[in-house]
Amino acid sequence: MSPAALVGLGLTEMSPRPGGDATELAVAALGAALDDAGLARADVDGLVVGSSQGVRPDRVGVALARQAGLGDLRLLEHVEIKGATTLAMVDRAVRAVGEGSARTVVCVFADAPLRAGGSAGSTYAKSGGTSGVRGLERASGLLGSVPTYALLAARWLHVTGGSAADLCAVAVSARAWAVDNPAAVQRTPLDAEAYFASPVIAEPLRRLDCARPVNGAAAVVVTADPGIGRAPRVVVRGSGAVHPMRRRRAGAESWFGGGRRAVDDALAAAGMVRADLDVLELYDPFSVVTLHLLEEYGFCPAGKVGPLVRDGAIAPGGTLPVNTGGGQLSGFYLQGMTPLVEALVQLRGDGGGRQVPSARTALVGGIGGRLDHHASLVLEAA
Amino acid sequence: MTAAEDWLLDPSLAPSTGGRLAPLYAGAAEGRLTLPFCAACDLPLELEQQVCDGCGRDDVAWRDVAAEGTVHTVTVVHRRETGLVRAEDPYPVADVELTSGHRLLMAGRRPSAPPAIGTPVTVSFRFLGGVAVPAYDAAVPASGPPTPLPQESPR
Repeated sequence: MSPAALVGLGLTEMSPRPGGDATELAVAALGAALDDAGLARADVDGLVVGSSQGVRPDRVGVALARQAGLGDLRLLEHVEIKGATTLAMVDRAVRAVGEGSARTVVCVFADAPLRAGGSAGSTYAKSGGTSGVRGLERASGLLGSVPTYALLAARWLHVTGGSAADLCAVAVSARAWAVDNPAAVQRTPLDAEAYFASPVIAEPLRRLDCARPVNGAAAVVVTADPGIGRAPRVVVRGSGAVHPMRRRRAGAESWFGGGRRAVDDALAAAGMVRADLDVLELYDPFSVVTLHLLEEYGFCPAGKVGPLVRDGAIAPGGTLPVNTGGGQLSGFYLQGMTPLVEALVQLRGDGGGRQVPSARTALVGGIGGRLDHHASLVLEAA
Repeated sequence: MTAAEDWLLDPSLAPSTGGRLAPLYAGAAEGRLTLPFCAACDLPLELEQQVCDGCGRDDVAWRDVAAEGTVHTVTVVHRRETGLVRAEDPYPVADVELTSGHRLLMAGRRPSAPPAIGTPVTVSFRFLGGVAVPAYDAAVPASGPPTPLPQESPR
């Protein structure tokens, strides 16, 4: 056995328009990943499925194994840990192939929030129900996910002394990467003037501070058998996760802190330090999350992320390449698959115009809930 | 505007008053702000918390608290979903640190400019589909009647 590696990648179109249900998208991505790895369905003995939480007309589950025409399996699970799901899926697969409980595992994530007759924003605004804490929040005007993250963003800017210019720098940097990503939803070059002309959704977040929802699916193939799959292989060097229990109480921060260990543990397992990482692919549903995670994960001293991003460090040609496909902001919002897919593209050397020269190592970061769940992977090109 | 008609949201968003938050809504219906504490060690608990993270006891005691606090964070929501939001202008939502130690999200009791982070507020109630839900008032004397905005000023 060799170290667990990602040996196949399959993507559907990332569509900003209604069309396709999650199951058919998942089937297509799974097939594409097997083709990419040079495998047949009969070679698969493990399937790990992830789907979005929230109200969806159709969510993929373990029935996908039947729907996608797979044979007998030894591992079949549906993983759910909000936005950290994808990295937990890969971690599950890595452990299975490492201990020998499965040999070739496909991890599939699909989502189809866009439906005819309503925008994604409308779908999210109508989701959540009337019971419990969420019911009280919605009765107080917090509809959809943007206002919640707007509260978080306002707090972040308050405690760090940051400004809208920092949010703008993240959005502009992400777009600059997306220009050369054929899969990205938003590829028109963006400058500060256009950013500040973007409509405000919930202060301080503008439309261009928010992820671009798509209907789409992605699948990866994990194996530790050196005879399975085709080059290039991307080895999983380390993983980490932490779920800090910050309480909503007076005098405390309820969104910030406690996440760093997810990265520390992954780096320790990999025998690497932060300076060894060539690209950072972070879960960025809102621009403020990129700002926060760069500090939370220790890639920037506390209070310094504003100047860092305003100097262009995370943009193409910068010293700290972050979200090199445009992230979820300008690329596509396929939850944790967005940063994972881009890390694979970079480490396989398939980045085309956005390829980071000689990128061999990547950190993939995933967050879930309201920064309640942090997970990371350290990947290296074999 | 009658007491039964909320200025902000459609009554279909009225919260379910049963379940874990039932004591909050029962108190609110009588004009009291009622929140959960650990019955053993008095730690203020989150609204759906069932076991105290401080002492491990599972005895939750709801009781009335002072209806006052300061703004932890605030947003002004510009996106107004058709059919759900009645307000015709962007509206603020504040996350308030109460003097009781709890944090509670709330809209304003009436249309108003957003209170800045750190600003003291008092808490009263909006009526959404007949259900009383906590709502902040910018800090003005408790005895003062509501004044129309934007001319509102402390006296």
